Amino acid sequence: MNSNIVLAVVVSAIAFGTPLVLAGLGELLAERSGVLNLGVEGMMLMGAVTAFFVSQKLHVATALALLLAVLASMVAGAAMAFIHAFLSITIRVNQIVSGLAITIFAGIIGLSSYLGQVWNIGGIAGRHSFNNVNLFGLKHLPILGPLIFDQDAFVYASWVLVIAVMYYLYRTRPGLYLRAVGENPAAADAMGINVIAYRYVHTLIGGALAGLGGAYFTLALAPFWTDGLTAGVGWIAIALVIFAFWRPDLLVLGAYLFGAFSALGPTLQTRHITVLPSEFYSALPFLMTVIALAAASTSWANRRIGTPASLGIPYTREEG
Amino acid sequence: MTDSVPSAGADQAAPAAASAPVPGLSANAAALTAVALAVQVVEMTKRFPGVVANDCVSFEAAEGEVHALLGENGAGKTTLCNLLMGLYRPDAGKLFVGGRAVRFHSPKDAQDAGIFMVHQHLRLVESMTVAENVVLGWSPSRQFRFSPGKVEKVVAEASERFQMPVDPRARIWQLSLGERQRVEILKALYRGAKVLILDEPTTVLTPQEADQLFSSVRDMTAEGRTVIFISHKLPEVLAVADRVTILRQGRSITTVPTAGTDADHLAGLMVGHEVSLEAAAKLAEEAGPVVLELAGVSARGDLGAEALKDVTLEVRAGEILGIAGVAGNGQRELAEVITGLRETTAGSISLGGSRLPAGDPRAAIDLGIAYVPEDRMGTGISPNLSIAENLMLKSYRRKAMRSGPVLSSRKAIANAKVAIERFDIRAPGPRTLIRQLSGGNIQKVLLARELSSEPRVLVAASPTRGLDVGATQYVRRTLSETAKSGVAVMMVSEDLDEVLELSDRIAVFYNGRVVGVVEAADANRQQIGLMMAGAS
Amino acid sequence: MTGPLRIERRLDTPKWLKVAVPLASLLLAAILAGILLASTGHNPISTYHQMYSAAVTAPGGLTSTFVYATPMLFTGLCAAFAFRMRTWNIGGEGQLYMGAVGAAAVGLCLGDWPRPLLIIAMILGGALSGTVWAAIPALLRAYLRTNEILTSLMLNYVAGFFMYYLIYDSTSYWRDLSSPGASVFPTGKTLGPNATWPGINIGSFTLPMGFVLGIGLAVGLLVLIQKTRYGFEMRVMGDSPNAANYSGIRTKRKIVSVMAISGGIAGIAGSSQIGDFGHVLDPRGLEQAQYGYTGIVVAALALYNPLAVVLVSLLIGGLTNAGFALEGPSFPTGLVGTMEGIILFTVLGGEILARYRIGIRRRAVPAASAAQLTTGGVAS
Repeated sequence: MNSNIVLAVVVSAIAFGTPLVLAGLGELLAERSGVLNLGVEGMMLMGAVTAFFVSQKLHVATALALLLAVLASMVAGAAMAFIHAFLSITIRVNQIVSGLAITIFAGIIGLSSYLGQVWNIGGIAGRHSFNNVNLFGLKHLPILGPLIFDQDAFVYASWVLVIAVMYYLYRTRPGLYLRAVGENPAAADAMGINVIAYRYVHTLIGGALAGLGGAYFTLALAPFWTDGLTAGVGWIAIALVIFAFWRPDLLVLGAYLFGAFSALGPTLQTRHITVLPSEFYSALPFLMTVIALAAASTSWANRRIGTPASLGIPYTREEG
Repeated sequence: MTDSVPSAGADQAAPAAASAPVPGLSANAAALTAVALAVQVVEMTKRFPGVVANDCVSFEAAEGEVHALLGENGAGKTTLCNLLMGLYRPDAGKLFVGGRAVRFHSPKDAQDAGIFMVHQHLRLVESMTVAENVVLGWSPSRQFRFSPGKVEKVVAEASERFQMPVDPRARIWQLSLGERQRVEILKALYRGAKVLILDEPTTVLTPQEADQLFSSVRDMTAEGRTVIFISHKLPEVLAVADRVTILRQGRSITTVPTAGTDADHLAGLMVGHEVSLEAAAKLAEEAGPVVLELAGVSARGDLGAEALKDVTLEVRAGEILGIAGVAGNGQRELAEVITGLRETTAGSISLGGSRLPAGDPRAAIDLGIAYVPEDRMGTGISPNLSIAENLMLKSYRRKAMRSGPVLSSRKAIANAKVAIERFDIRAPGPRTLIRQLSGGNIQKVLLARELSSEPRVLVAASPTRGLDVGATQYVRRTLSETAKSGVAVMMVSEDLDEVLELSDRIAVFYNGRVVGVVEAADANRQQIGLMMAGAS
Repeated sequence: MTGPLRIERRLDTPKWLKVAVPLASLLLAAILAGILLASTGHNPISTYHQMYSAAVTAPGGLTSTFVYATPMLFTGLCAAFAFRMRTWNIGGEGQLYMGAVGAAAVGLCLGDWPRPLLIIAMILGGALSGTVWAAIPALLRAYLRTNEILTSLMLNYVAGFFMYYLIYDSTSYWRDLSSPGASVFPTGKTLGPNATWPGINIGSFTLPMGFVLGIGLAVGLLVLIQKTRYGFEMRVMGDSPNAANYSGIRTKRKIVSVMAISGGIAGIAGSSQIGDFGHVLDPRGLEQAQYGYTGIVVAALALYNPLAVVLVSLLIGGLTNAGFALEGPSFPTGLVGTMEGIILFTVLGGEILARYRIGIRRRAVPAASAAQLTTGGVAS
């Protein structure tokens, strides 16, 4: 097969996949604590608009502006996540509803658009943006060069984060406790672990990373702002976490896979190679997830690779 | 700093005064002054609304001793241990640990003092490894890093030291119940347990696993640890304990060394010799034909262990068969297999000759089996529905409840009014939400519903638990009348007096088997107590 | 739960509270949104006035409100019906898409049938498509205990791609291949006049047939839930699954049938989109509208009561209408979602006040209660 096609698809995959990885890791941590967050799209948009606002309006050097913009996006995402956490953990509103409430509140017809208009930042070119970094000066290596050594800071950050989250989950105490909270909050509680705190913290982290994922759009990919810029990437991140069975290593592979599949269709089409319709490739990961979920429901599989058992269920300590 | 399992004596300053006489010392303990006391309970009282669970209880356990707490249902064993582990606060009395007076405000305080309890319901995360479960929630050096390899080594070390073989890398779901229990014990030892409380530990164990447990217990005490062993099973107590304290109806009766006693003596202490103040043994009436038959029935419990083993029983029309036994010996599972809420693994259940399909609640209902469950609030009623709706919880399928294609609320209300009147249910009206009623009235609703279907068999589990005196009498009277009207009644109760008073025949359950069936007229407490404790 | 707040269930919710709390919440929402408006340079009072007139009094305004409200009515009923029984069908979005596909197929294929018959056929076609789509997560949940939240969510994406394929990427039956603009920009075939659902004209306002159908459906569902054996079983299952099992209810079949019906209702939303409005399968429009997910929110605001869903769908429909109608520099569309979100927060938070009593926890003294004894916590 034509190596140009492969390269084109891989480049698209990385571009498409990076915000997925960032938001997906956040959602993974939240769901590992037992909290389902359907508000990712809204949190990403809030991150995107806030980051753009800060980078546009702050009259400082590029590096500082970008740094502050990134931080602002994470704060914005976490703030939205706080609302979701408060509603679903403390008030014990249905997690599905409170997550959707955030998506509506902050999403394409919500606060992010509102602020975009009020701040008057729509449709103008971004003043600062992340450019590709020539890592170690190796960008001219064949094949690997453009792929690994010629990406922007977000991409590298996403790779670092994947490793960090894996280390966190499997090689640290808090990560161990987090896994226990998701699997069996009653047992974790009995062992003195503060279930509520873990859920709050990881939901907020999820929001912050979603905001960061949104910032990718306005600080690196585009860079400009328009309503609903993320175009459903937040929703795909939610699906991705499930597809990856809550594992960071599968998550990053899945993110690039989703990206590749989305790019594959149009890429093949422009080269008049149509075996299967592009929508088939796009839909395939979701169909596979349904089948995998069904297969994982058998107790054999469930013990090995199952859903965090307490996902979606509010936790109350049995009094007495 | 690595996490290694601390050994029993080498911790923070063990007070030298451990063996000095402590105020309130009982006669027994005075004789042991030379021996260090790990735990001393002095005249502890704990009250709950309506009952005194522990009434001026005293006992003490020495370091390195295996001390059993023996008693039947309601004796106060679990409450006492909950007090020891800091879950409850006593209303009166004192507690000394290692010679120092202590006051626990939470389980954590007790754990800091070295007291740990291994519960019947294990708190383990199934998908994680043994090593991960052992270290869960415990980082004495505030460690951030978690190295599975190192932790597994520490756990392997501990497991060898205490003769509790378990693979640290195994996942909990792969382990047998006995192995899981070992993990729980390892958890406590890892955290520096000096006093280990085991609550009915052999309930889910096979005989071999039980032996292994006893040998581990002896190893633990050899190092100076103390094990407090809650049990109602005489053979075990005699086998493993050094001394035993008998509790009865909330009071501590006495403490004796196991070496100098036997099952009969202990059983007598356990159930007491008082004659029941209620009516004397029932007149042996002519019982009708056999209605309900169980033949060789076996079933698994919730945790996967065998809860019923080859049970053969029959209940006749017009009689009350009382099921006696300490809670957890299979009685609940018995009620559930009869009413279709649990599958059987062997044997058959028949009603009037026709076979009852296993695990099918609707079949049981349709064949005429009524059930007043032990868990009223969680299973017996739909808490947010009205009294009238709860009353038709099983009868709504019948034509009589319908008018045309819809459920007739008119008929339901009328029905409810009749039941409220007949059973003297105190409630504002048929539309009242059932969860607003008192426990006694809820039970009346349940009885009204179950009896209104004119059943052939009525299974009643713990029918008077938690009810006040008036409601209790009402329920007992109703059960008697129901039997008189020709229904075959099976009553499971943890209250031995109740069983003796109401039953025509009594079947005693121990370890999932029927260990004896006696006519009520011939029954005496001593004998039944022995059977309940597995010693006959 | 730990923390400074102690939340106890009220034994009985006084009737006045049940009405007062939602109203108070709405008022609070209006105030909070007003503060937001004021702080960004808009006059709250005049904004609200503008919105009201756009949604109600302006020419064509009320009609537009109903146009937005109609699909939300159906998807709201879909979610309310399923959520009551704690089967979390969040696949209304995908079930709507499939319903639209099904209804469009019927409308195109049987286009020369007499109008009343065709309309009924379209309704059935949409309902059936939605039912089948919902049956997948339903069966998986009932028989394999697979989490239906996750599976129904995934199927939303699949349905969306399927719809896209039909119109944008294939020469399918649904696609318009003949008209001049079709080769430039892919569109669906327009349905014939018989497939157009009649509206009821009341003065200058047109009431879509779909909305009337929806009201009828809401009433029907209410009767089903409150007055039939089926509904009785639903209510018991939603209240206590243990009690349902104990009383002989066939819980697995119930799960499947409730989710299937729920999916069918969302499918009718799709039919209505084709028949009432649009008259053509428009994947992009449907995906942007997100009626399915909005329906969940509508159901939550309506506290899962079918009749309340009718009212709430009008509220949200009016809000959405106002947002699009007034769109411009002085009226950002973002206000719509923001206000919806604020309403959700206040109403959901307020509902807890009605159901529970919230107090400040004094220093906790762990003591067993009498409840322990009645529910089986034996002191022995």
